[in-house]
Amino acid sequence: MISVKNLRKSFAGREVLQGVSFEVYAGETLGIIGPSGCGKSTILKLLCGLLEPDGGEIKKGSPEISLVFQGSALLNSLNVEENLRLALRSKKMKPAEEDKRIAATLKLVGLGDYGAAFPGNLSGGQQKRTSFARAIVNDPQIILYDEPTTGLDPVMSTVIEDYMITLEKELHAASIVVTHQFSTWTRTAHRIILMHAGTIVWEGTPEEAVNSDDPYMKQFAHATKDGPMLLEQAKESHSPMH
Amino acid sequence: MTSAAPKLRTVRPIRGLDFFVAQFVVGTELIGQVLIMLYQTLSFIARGQVDLKETYRQMYMIGVLSFIVVAITALFTGFAMSLQIARELVLFGADTAIGGVVSLALVREIGPITAGVIVAGRVGSSIAAELTTMMITEQVDALKVMRIDPVQYLVVPRFVAAFCMMPVLSVYAMAVGLVAGIWIAQVAANVPPSTFLDSVRQTILDRDFLVHFCKSWINATIVVMFSCAIGLNTKGGAEDVGIATTRTIVWTMTMIFIFNYVVTSLTYAPR
Repeated sequence: MISVKNLRKSFAGREVLQGVSFEVYAGETLGIIGPSGCGKSTILKLLCGLLEPDGGEIKKGSPEISLVFQGSALLNSLNVEENLRLALRSKKMKPAEEDKRIAATLKLVGLGDYGAAFPGNLSGGQQKRTSFARAIVNDPQIILYDEPTTGLDPVMSTVIEDYMITLEKELHAASIVVTHQFSTWTRTAHRIILMHAGTIVWEGTPEEAVNSDDPYMKQFAHATKDGPMLLEQAKESHSPMH
Repeated sequence: MTSAAPKLRTVRPIRGLDFFVAQFVVGTELIGQVLIMLYQTLSFIARGQVDLKETYRQMYMIGVLSFIVVAITALFTGFAMSLQIARELVLFGADTAIGGVVSLALVREIGPITAGVIVAGRVGSSIAAELTTMMITEQVDALKVMRIDPVQYLVVPRFVAAFCMMPVLSVYAMAVGLVAGIWIAQVAANVPPSTFLDSVRQTILDRDFLVHFCKSWINATIVVMFSCAIGLNTKGGAEDVGIATTRTIVWTMTMIFIFNYVVTSLTYAPR
């Protein structure tokens, strides 16, 4: 469904992605993990066309692609229902059909009674669920999640992770989740890639990740201070670029 | 840790010629962005791709909500201007010309300028702040992911709304200013309203109203295009919202005064 080969991207002379390659299949969720600034979110922006790559190749099996933003990115001037309607614009559906689809989607994420509410009046968890609803209302074949559980309490994180698992089963879409949260990548992803300084340094299943002896993966999975990532980051932060 | 302390980036203030070169580059870039956005906006309008519901909402925000502040500004501008004109004309025994002179100033200059400046301050800054916030909070990116063109969704309704409402506000400002003029003429110079209005009728030509509307449309274009171009090309954080707002006010006000003079010189310069 998604094939990425030798992807490269630079910002102001700094190479954020240095030749990243991976594939994601329909019905599969790929977790992209790694320290801040390693290029995870850049991959998502390149995949959904918000950025142009400097080099490499991206092949998508479907143009129907959705992104769940880290900060929800709901339009504040529109209510929940109108936010979802926006995602259906390109579908050119009949109003009655649109209403039905929106009602079903809001019910799926537990917001059936919140159609008229404005984002400013919703809690963080409700905003995140609205963002989910907007991402899935047009039946996308590819769903990208950018830090879906960051900033949420543990209970709400679990609720969001459950939605991701349910959606994956219902839509059979190819999904990519970018996250720092241990529970999110261990619960929702089928495969994991660990990124560091613009490259993939480890790849495997969540179970393999937790038990890995690889110095990068071990450090990230066990959240320890000592390891190759922090040392290299310290070097980076002392470079003239910073 | 044995590593040395991190080097701090020093910020060197730009001085002298470098400052003007930097300002020129930034200004040229912004004018380029405005022209590209205007072309895209007109293309969407020509294809009939206008969100009417959002346009009506913007007409309310831009036009209806500006009525009170435009009225207050036009009223006091009318008072001050009429008082000055009445004082001078009474000295020359030309009391009956007060209406004509006041209305000329209002129709040709004060009406469009007052409405333009108020809309630039109230609406332009608000558009820039709203769009910059939308950029920062990834709302504009969300539109792009949903395959909705931000210019079509955010700029076109605002442009159409301002284009419709700015002449209304200008005429309204002119009318309020005229009422102020009538009152001052009667109180300060003993000129009855009928004499004032006769003078207005004899002085104002149809061409004056055409110029009045042209200036209003130019002001509407300046306010919306500069505020949207600045808003949609700003990234960063909360500080940048303030910078974008200030930049919008400075650019729109300056452009309104420049274009006002250009139109006046093209239409009223002695031949």
